[in-house]
Amino acid sequence: MTDLKTDTMFVNMGPQHPSTHGVLRLGLTLSGEIIVKAEPDIGYLHRGTEKLAELRGYHQCVVMTDRWDYVSAMPNNLVFCLAAEKLMNLEISSRANYLRVLMCEINRIASHLLFLGTYGIDIGAYTPFLYAFREREMVLDLFEMACGARTTFNYIRIGGVSADLPQGWTEKCREFLNYFKGKIREYDDLLTYNPIFLDRTKTVGILSKETALDWGLTGPNLRGSGVPYDVRKTDPYCVYDKLDFDVCVGETGSCWDRYHVRVLEMTQSIRIVEQCLGQLPAGDVMAKGVAKIPKPPAGEAYAHVEASRGDLGIYLVADGSSAPYRLHARAPSYINLAVLQEILTGLKLADVIAILGSTDIVLGEVDR
Amino acid sequence: MVPDAAIAKLKERFSGLQLMEPAPVKGHLSVKLSGPSKLIGVIKMLKDELGYEFLDFITAVDWKGPVDLKGYIVNPNPNPFMPEGVRSQMISEPPTPGFPYREAIEVIYALSNWAAKSRIFVRVETTRGDPRVPSLIFLWKGADWQEREIFDLLGVVFEGHPNLKKILTPDFIKGHPLRKDYVHIKDKYD
Repeated sequence: MTDLKTDTMFVNMGPQHPSTHGVLRLGLTLSGEIIVKAEPDIGYLHRGTEKLAELRGYHQCVVMTDRWDYVSAMPNNLVFCLAAEKLMNLEISSRANYLRVLMCEINRIASHLLFLGTYGIDIGAYTPFLYAFREREMVLDLFEMACGARTTFNYIRIGGVSADLPQGWTEKCREFLNYFKGKIREYDDLLTYNPIFLDRTKTVGILSKETALDWGLTGPNLRGSGVPYDVRKTDPYCVYDKLDFDVCVGETGSCWDRYHVRVLEMTQSIRIVEQCLGQLPAGDVMAKGVAKIPKPPAGEAYAHVEASRGDLGIYLVADGSSAPYRLHARAPSYINLAVLQEILTGLKLADVIAILGSTDIVLGEVDR
Repeated sequence: MVPDAAIAKLKERFSGLQLMEPAPVKGHLSVKLSGPSKLIGVIKMLKDELGYEFLDFITAVDWKGPVDLKGYIVNPNPNPFMPEGVRSQMISEPPTPGFPYREAIEVIYALSNWAAKSRIFVRVETTRGDPRVPSLIFLWKGADWQEREIFDLLGVVFEGHPNLKKILTPDFIKGHPLRKDYVHIKDKYD
């Protein structure tokens, strides 16, 4: 037995692989079934939006932000507008602020539903996907009513939002919320507490608090490890300080915890949306005096929001011209994805999909 | 630790450290270092002693100022939807008079102290010709990809980084796209 030759094997997973949720390539070095080294390779969707922004006006940049995290584009619109408004010293009307929060939260529901459905498929449960997409469709219909688009909205603009709610929107939204409340129970029965699903996820991909903070993780991935960090609470923007909601955290940091945090967050989003609908004040939705070609004075601004995937920040430098001098996006997916190098090492190949799915990355945001 | 006390302690230990006032990024502290040599010491003190334990992000800015690009798209197609007064997309804005453009790349580190609800921007300038700063990967593993991104897009070399290679742009791209004087060479996808 002693002269048995052992060697490692290189497995190339992706970039076209249904479980990589886009164009991610994982270079895995295996020793038998155990992963010795994992190297995520990204950049297949790099469109250079940070450079493009330097050649475009501020209003044009909002359109590009939609294309980062195309699954939940509202927070992307919002964070760029918040940063630009800081540069321009604009006052946003109360109604516009409520509408922004409202849209971001129903977008969070849509985004987490997509995660829930596709994560089920990754693990081998096909049915929850159909249920989740049935509900997601209703959210997309709400967006279509409000702004005409289903995924890339360009709804939140510098100075407010592009249009007020159409007639009948609030009733339809309430209808959806009442319908959706009962559905979470259905997901719990189908997937969350399904014994096979628990076996595949409960003890897999454990991410300790220290590792998560060391790698700079944010969002549900960090909260899954038990760190109650949520920008909506720690650094409230828009009207989050007037709303009542809880920060959901997991216990052990396993794949299941990261999954469950998202399910719990959907119930919190319902609460927030209901409060927004109840408190929605009357008034304008767009600030007065926003220039068609804004030329903010030279300066810098940083704004960050709790997007569906974590702490999304925009660092914006203006030099007094009509285009940003420099735009940097702190993309949560990009930073969350890097941790795979560490947590995949030492695990079995079969667990890669479970762990990759649970980090919920969107490659549009990873590559920008 | 209140932010003011943190700054006072930093200033006490490190000379050549300048608190920028008014802060360039409104609402957040900014300190500027005289050179990359003190970076590790300052960041280490912020992390270990002053509670700035979370690395928010790393970024860099090329301060060269707008360069008249003569890229591969010499005559862009006319765009009938362009509002009046907006310039063609491939032409960069003219430089703003009075803005401090300079031949430097500035690397910016944003650190957060969640307990004190404070964020500090540590800024260090390096030359455009041979930009080098020490890597922070031994303090935060999260610095790994963020440093690689800046290396790829701006060409800053992070000394001590074990795996400093391109991450976002394809292998055949030459140069660093986020530099102001970057000219794209037409490739097979254009």
